[in-house]
Amino acid sequence: MFKSLGSLVTRSPWIYRLNAGSCNGCDVEMATTALIPRYDVERLGCKYCGSPRHADIVLISGPLTLRVRDKVLRVFDEIPHPKVTVAVGVCPVTGGAFRDSYTCDTALDQYINLDVIVPGCPPRPQAIIEGIAKALEVWKERMEEGACSRS
Amino acid sequence: MLPFLKIMVKNLLAGPSTEAFPFAPAHTPARFRGKANHDKNKCILCGICRHVCAAGAIQMRVVEDGSGVEYVLWHNSCVFCGLCAHYCPTKALTMTDDWHLAHRGEDRFAVREDSFVRYGQCSTCGARIQPRPAVIVEALGTRYPDRFMMCPSCKRESLAKRSVPAKPDMETSETSDE
Repeated sequence: MFKSLGSLVTRSPWIYRLNAGSCNGCDVEMATTALIPRYDVERLGCKYCGSPRHADIVLISGPLTLRVRDKVLRVFDEIPHPKVTVAVGVCPVTGGAFRDSYTCDTALDQYINLDVIVPGCPPRPQAIIEGIAKALEVWKERMEEGACSRS
Repeated sequence: MLPFLKIMVKNLLAGPSTEAFPFAPAHTPARFRGKANHDKNKCILCGICRHVCAAGAIQMRVVEDGSGVEYVLWHNSCVFCGLCAHYCPTKALTMTDDWHLAHRGEDRFAVREDSFVRYGQCSTCGARIQPRPAVIVEALGTRYPDRFMMCPSCKRESLAKRSVPAKPDMETSETSDE
């Protein structure tokens, strides 16, 4: 039952954007990727959703500032398994230009397992689409295994 | 009458406005700043790239036996500002237009520019000097090829030892460009 649903559901991943204290550069590019017909991520079956409980793929941007840390982790835990996390920009991985800032203690990947990384500051929309395509592969593998990204 | 027909026909002829990207190659502007590329055959280890790097993405470590420097540029830290390429005096660092950097999370430590730059050797005393790659020798060392391959102290010595022709009308012009 789960297997047969899995093959159907991987055709339409729903995307959730999570801003972990980003400068909004990556968020603008993510909005561009989805909303502008020129890039149009909906061709891959993706759809941006407003609620974390509906999400399959999470796009995370930002270095995880102390102010949003607990809120981000709470929202992240609301996303059902198996979720695939995509780090957009260099901030979630290393902190980027905000590394060693007094507003963030450590990079986001100490808290959240990043499945796909799209480096850039910000990455161009095509690179984000490439990252989402990679996340789709990861998600399909997860659905076949029935494994969780974080437990 | 029926003005939308005109728009419809126009849009039909114009074709889709969506880029075909994941299914076909995307257009990249010529001066796009993608991942940085380090050419170890041009590098003189001046370290200006590491100095100007806004994100601290460049590391240079002397290897244990002291024969050279391990040069690492982390693409996951780089913010693609292009300052390193701008300030590189020998154009060893360049920004390519390759933006295909998306990778799996477990490969994050493999996404880097990794090269080993060997130190140069003084042609007289064998002391460690900055690298003297062939490209640099051709560009800068053609006027005084012997002195270019020396360490600073040997260079000073050879300058002091050199015989200056005693001409009363040539007092300062000989050493003007040293």
